Amino acid sequence: MYPGGVHAVAGVDLDVFPGEIHALCGENGAGKTTLASIAAGKLKATGGTVVAHGNVGLVHQHFELVDRLRVWENVVLGREPHRGAELDRAAARAEVEKLSREYGLAVDPDAVIEGLPVGIAQRVELLRELARDPAVLILDEPTAVLAPAEIDALFATVRALAVRGTAVLIITHKLQEVVAHTSRITVMRAGKVVARLETAQTNVDDIARAMVGGELPELAARLETTPKPALAVRGVSAGESSLAVRNASFEVHGGEIVGVAGVEGNGQSALADAIAGVIPYRGSIELDGVALPAGDPARRIAQGIRTIPQDRRREALVLSWSIVDNVALGDQRRPSLRKGVTVDRGAARELAKRIVERFDVRTPSVDTSVSALSGGNQQKVVVGRALAHEPKFLLVYQPTRGIDVGAAALVQSRLIEARNAGVAVFLISFELDEVLALSDRVIVMYRGAVVGTFERGAIDRARIGSLMAGAA
Amino acid sequence: MGLGLALIAAAAMLLAGANPLLGFWALFRGALGGVPQISETLVQTTSLLFPSLAVAFAFRAGLFNIGAEGQLVIGGLVAGVIGARLETSGLIAIPLLLIAGSAGGAAWGAIAGVLRARFGGSEVIATLMLNIVAALLANYLVVGPLHSPGVAGPETAELPHSSWLPALLPGTRLTVALLIALALAFVLRWVFDRTVFGYELRAVGDAPEAARRAGINLAKTAFVTMALSGAMAGLGGATIVTGVLHRFNVSLSPGYGFIAIAVALVGDLDPLRIIIASFAFGILQSGALSMQALAHVPKDVVSFVEGLAIVALAARRFVAGRKQMTALAPE
Repeated sequence: MYPGGVHAVAGVDLDVFPGEIHALCGENGAGKTTLASIAAGKLKATGGTVVAHGNVGLVHQHFELVDRLRVWENVVLGREPHRGAELDRAAARAEVEKLSREYGLAVDPDAVIEGLPVGIAQRVELLRELARDPAVLILDEPTAVLAPAEIDALFATVRALAVRGTAVLIITHKLQEVVAHTSRITVMRAGKVVARLETAQTNVDDIARAMVGGELPELAARLETTPKPALAVRGVSAGESSLAVRNASFEVHGGEIVGVAGVEGNGQSALADAIAGVIPYRGSIELDGVALPAGDPARRIAQGIRTIPQDRRREALVLSWSIVDNVALGDQRRPSLRKGVTVDRGAARELAKRIVERFDVRTPSVDTSVSALSGGNQQKVVVGRALAHEPKFLLVYQPTRGIDVGAAALVQSRLIEARNAGVAVFLISFELDEVLALSDRVIVMYRGAVVGTFERGAIDRARIGSLMAGAA
Repeated sequence: MGLGLALIAAAAMLLAGANPLLGFWALFRGALGGVPQISETLVQTTSLLFPSLAVAFAFRAGLFNIGAEGQLVIGGLVAGVIGARLETSGLIAIPLLLIAGSAGGAAWGAIAGVLRARFGGSEVIATLMLNIVAALLANYLVVGPLHSPGVAGPETAELPHSSWLPALLPGTRLTVALLIALALAFVLRWVFDRTVFGYELRAVGDAPEAARRAGINLAKTAFVTMALSGAMAGLGGATIVTGVLHRFNVSLSPGYGFIAIAVALVGDLDPLRIIIASFAFGILQSGALSMQALAHVPKDVVSFVEGLAIVALAARRFVAGRKQMTALAPE
């Protein structure tokens, strides 16, 4: 139940059978994650029952791993093998290695979670659940952050589990995957089940219509623009060892979207942080031909460089604050949002209302704390704020990660409209479809270097795929 | 929670061989039984309010300033050392001594601020340790190099009358320091709620990574916050010297800077509620002696209850945090 007495989930029946891969689909805020948490015993239902024939494992959308512990420590956490009072490290490591081999989930048992790419961290979370030999395995948005090859590997693992008799429930927005890998589908909307479908007898469009309760919104049209130079990245190197960006050079013009195709962990994060000015780098980053000083995000914001960071809950929003207070963040010193030394709450409120309306943020009021919003609605606030003051350059990192089709289409449309209006948009996404759909130009990154550039008219999907995988 | 603490306090008094009813009666009579008692309670309230606001100010920026005690001592030391040597009109001397005391506290707080801003050192450890350094340094200076001729104890000579803070009630120790403290609380409330600086400070406290990416300089904010927090505690020390003791003495604080942590938490880090919390703790402070004298309850029972209050509050915050986490499942 959400604060305010609205049930996140109401009167839902759902059966998942041994050996079945079952999809649970629905828009953001439909109650999928809540239902999964109830099924896994992490939340208490106010009514109804959950019956499971064995353990229920839950792999979270936002991983629940201890960042500072090693892989093996995370996997055995809570049921550590021991000899007397002493932790039996050898036994624990052996168990992790055995599981890792058995399920084909390659991880280094001694790696510390903090430094791992998300794809690997997810494997660890999956291993932790598999170690408990679950009768039911629930995966919440498991492919949101994975590269195509990693997605295939994940589903191979999931199918193998199903064959062994595990009941698998997958929560996802990616309808192609649903159609390709599941046997039955349950669609939720506003806390209730609105459709139960057999995968063999349905298709992507039918599922999407059931999710949104009508026709899908179409992407905004791309208009002709006359690109002019805006941001130039020249020989930039930044970040640490395997996650570093190396000697990257490219330009992003006003009125175009440049997208990065690449598997996560190939330097995108370091590149984004260098552009945002939050980490040191070598080389130069220029706006309108003038080099920007490193380590000065405030200067960048003042000059019209805006970013939509990868972790909106930690890097973009103050979760405990209202929408009104959050929309001013980053612009609190802008003359239009302050009166002398004080914050102009009236102006911030007007801005919040405009964003809520234009971005269709589903919220009871602009005074609602953003922690009470669903992920998609939080992202709409972040994107709305970034576009509110006519930016010159917009850096977008995984803009639709973990948000539903309706919200994703809206966010993507707003990005295209910003491009149409002359903004230089730089898009980093691990979903190749998104990169190809939105970009005027695609650059491919592999091991921190730019290894290919493709204009929109000359996209070669197969070639991009092999460059992403490291082909020369 | 209040009732529970009262019951535990009663049990403690029983254990100490005293009559709890008599104990409470003595406590409240000693704190609120007449004009002299009430004014003494307000003196304690004032001395608690400055460091409590200092602690709350730093907490709001995500900095755990455990060093209000040391900053208060340094503020008092600076005011006392200068004040004992300064013969001039009160119109000049008083503001000067209060500013000097604030500056001393600010400098002491800034040490931890620099360590944090430049090297990422924990302000908790730094401020905690600097409390001890402050106490020892003050003792060394007033007994050694800055010794006042004719003074026997670890203290400075008395300040000239012209440098004493004006009394609010003639014949009591209650001075305009109370008004300064109240004004400071209202100013802080305004700073937090209205100003761009307060907005940035709260952003740093509530979501440091988001604040950094929004162009707010975390190191600078940490430094400025610690210096200002120290200034508030130092100002408190200066008011004790100029208003209450009229000299600096190394034991000018019975732990105001530590009790302040509890006061700030009881007041939920809100400057106006901290006024009320300071008054409540002021009652405990000033009633304790009367409780000991009249009801033969050791005054340590008060410290014991204050300690319990901190534990109970910390537990309440922890439980509330957990409830919130389970109520709002991530979507």
